Amino acid sequence: MENVLELKDVWKIYDLGKIKLEVLRGVSFYIKKGDFVVVLGPSGSGKSTLLNMMSCLDVPTKGQVFLDGKDVSVFSEDKLAIVRGEKIGFVFQQFNLLPHLTAIQNVVLPTLFRGTSFQEKTERAKEILSSVGLSSRLNHKPSELSGGEKQRVAISRALINNPEIIVADEPTGNVDSKTGAHIMELLENLNKKEGRTVVVVTHDAELEKFSNKIIRIRDGNLIKK
Amino acid sequence: MNTEYFKIALRNLKSRSMRSWLTVLGIVIGIFLVVSLLSLSEGLKDSVMRELKMMGGDILIVYPGDGSDIVTTMMGGVELKDKEIEAIKRAEGVDIVLEMPFTGSVVRHFQETKMALIYGIDLDDGLPLLRDNMGWEMTSGEFPRPGRREVMVGNLVPKDLFPEMMVGDSINIQGKEFTVSGVLRSLGNKQDDLVIALDLDDFRSTTGKREGTPVAMVQLYEGYDAEIAAENIERELEQSMTRRRDEDSPSFSVMTSETVTNMVDSIMGTVQLAVIAFASIAILVGGIGIMNTMYTSVKERTKEIGILKAVGAKRSDITKIFLFEAGIIGIIGGIGGVVLGLLLAISVEIYFSQIHPVFYLEAHISIWLILFGLGFSFAVGCLSGFFPARQGAKMKPVDALRYE
Ligand SMILES: Nc1ncnc2c1ncn2[C@@H]1O[C@H](COP(=O)(O)OP(=O)(O)OP(=O)(O)O)[C@@H](O)[C@H]1O
Ligand SMILES: [Mg+2]
Repeated sequence: MENVLELKDVWKIYDLGKIKLEVLRGVSFYIKKGDFVVVLGPSGSGKSTLLNMMSCLDVPTKGQVFLDGKDVSVFSEDKLAIVRGEKIGFVFQQFNLLPHLTAIQNVVLPTLFRGTSFQEKTERAKEILSSVGLSSRLNHKPSELSGGEKQRVAISRALINNPEIIVADEPTGNVDSKTGAHIMELLENLNKKEGRTVVVVTHDAELEKFSNKIIRIRDGNLIKK
Repeated sequence: MNTEYFKIALRNLKSRSMRSWLTVLGIVIGIFLVVSLLSLSEGLKDSVMRELKMMGGDILIVYPGDGSDIVTTMMGGVELKDKEIEAIKRAEGVDIVLEMPFTGSVVRHFQETKMALIYGIDLDDGLPLLRDNMGWEMTSGEFPRPGRREVMVGNLVPKDLFPEMMVGDSINIQGKEFTVSGVLRSLGNKQDDLVIALDLDDFRSTTGKREGTPVAMVQLYEGYDAEIAAENIERELEQSMTRRRDEDSPSFSVMTSETVTNMVDSIMGTVQLAVIAFASIAILVGGIGIMNTMYTSVKERTKEIGILKAVGAKRSDITKIFLFEAGIIGIIGGIGGVVLGLLLAISVEIYFSQIHPVFYLEAHISIWLILFGLGFSFAVGCLSGFFPARQGAKMKPVDALRYE
């Protein structure tokens, strides 16, 4: 199976003037198409930073990130934006929905920047929202939704552009355990039924069970098992 | 595609606070000034020009004073005396010289006594001139004939001054009886339409003013160049004045329809320039206000920018969203200014046409001025939004997302 994502000796160093903060110290690994990857590590270990590198939100200080065989660490900012829009679907811990847009508008939002037909995408957004059980919440604003519902809207938004990879940073971090289980089930379905590659960042070792690949990180280094 | 950016911008605007809306006040005031004052000054120019058009190209106007301030000269009682009239008549190219003395006088019509402006006009020479070149016409009755103590009255005299007045009525001017022979068609301004005109000889004998006129109208021989004739008249007048050095020799002006047009143009030009200067300052202030609120807006929505970038927004997309927002703020200010400006212009027009009619002033409401006002305010908005928008677009997605 081909590597969807490959990191080669990725460093992220924040220059804080007096000190240089090494958040990632030469991380290397790969992810195959259809993998369900869980990134585990304590708080502050660099999980989110790593996820940002994997999802083209940020570029490494040193090292290379290959997405579909292309080195995206040298891409311009606009090129990265296009890659994010086309290939990556994001799910955040704080949901990150736009507060003044309705559920369906939030879901359609990513298509806006791709020049696709809005009408057609609205239909698709409805389908996706229905598939996550939100057909009765289409026109609700985020403030009118529960945490679990918000996260399901966020997952729907991540799916609208039919991305190869779904990345989720602590997707269950802001919901209760029952809802969290439901969210994980959704992600698992996307992986098993639709064959999408899923990367989930968490400090909850419980979630290991969903994965077929675990990446453990501590102080910016991968821990080999 | 752009309509979606437009919708996003609109939605963002709805969530704005009152305070941020107040910053568009500068735009409102600026566009208000431009629309109202330019409409009115254009309208004023139109009505002056309309009158000038009645005055043919081979008519000159001569009056004392140096031309810089007609109003003061006329009020100040400086007059052209018979000697000067003779001098004008001598000038080459001059066919007829028409004195037009006027004065306020008590006029009685049956039981009613009022103050009215009476004009003296040489009915033999002057009437044809006024008829052919200035568009004087009768709506009822006939032009007065010399030697018969007849007068003609302006179109508003039977309406405003002496209601019920009819052709054939007799009126009493400073104790002397005259017959109203006819009513003039409107001459385009209130003052002229309230006139009572009588034969020059009657005017002289009735008012006791033996000579002098604050203004003289000159008709040239057909085809004679107005500018050359104006020079001829000036030369003759200068010679006649040097002959009486003992008196303080007043200056005088000869105006062709062209010089009047130019003068009106330059006065209005100055007024409009001043309006534009004030408006520019207001609009500049408005623009700075928009820039300010847009910087705040970009800052407040840092997280949102991060989200948009995460889901694929390029720098240009973010720029567009904020530019649209700023542009819409600008155009909303512009709409406010246009509406208020038109309201003022129309109110002034109504005031002069119905409540206090001194002269006809019709606001010149140009669709282009309105479109310009809206387009310009949109452009100012966009321009003011440019730097804030660029700042937003430049944010790195990770930093923007981390922003709390
Ligand atoms: N922009 C930045 N500037 C400076 N330091 C940063 C920046 N971003 C992250 N860091 C630091 O890098 C370290 C790792 O951060 P990161 O967010 O990747 O941790 P994490 O593993 O996701 O933690 P958590 O589980 O709490 O989310 C932290 O110590 C953080 O303070
Ligand atoms: Mg984190």
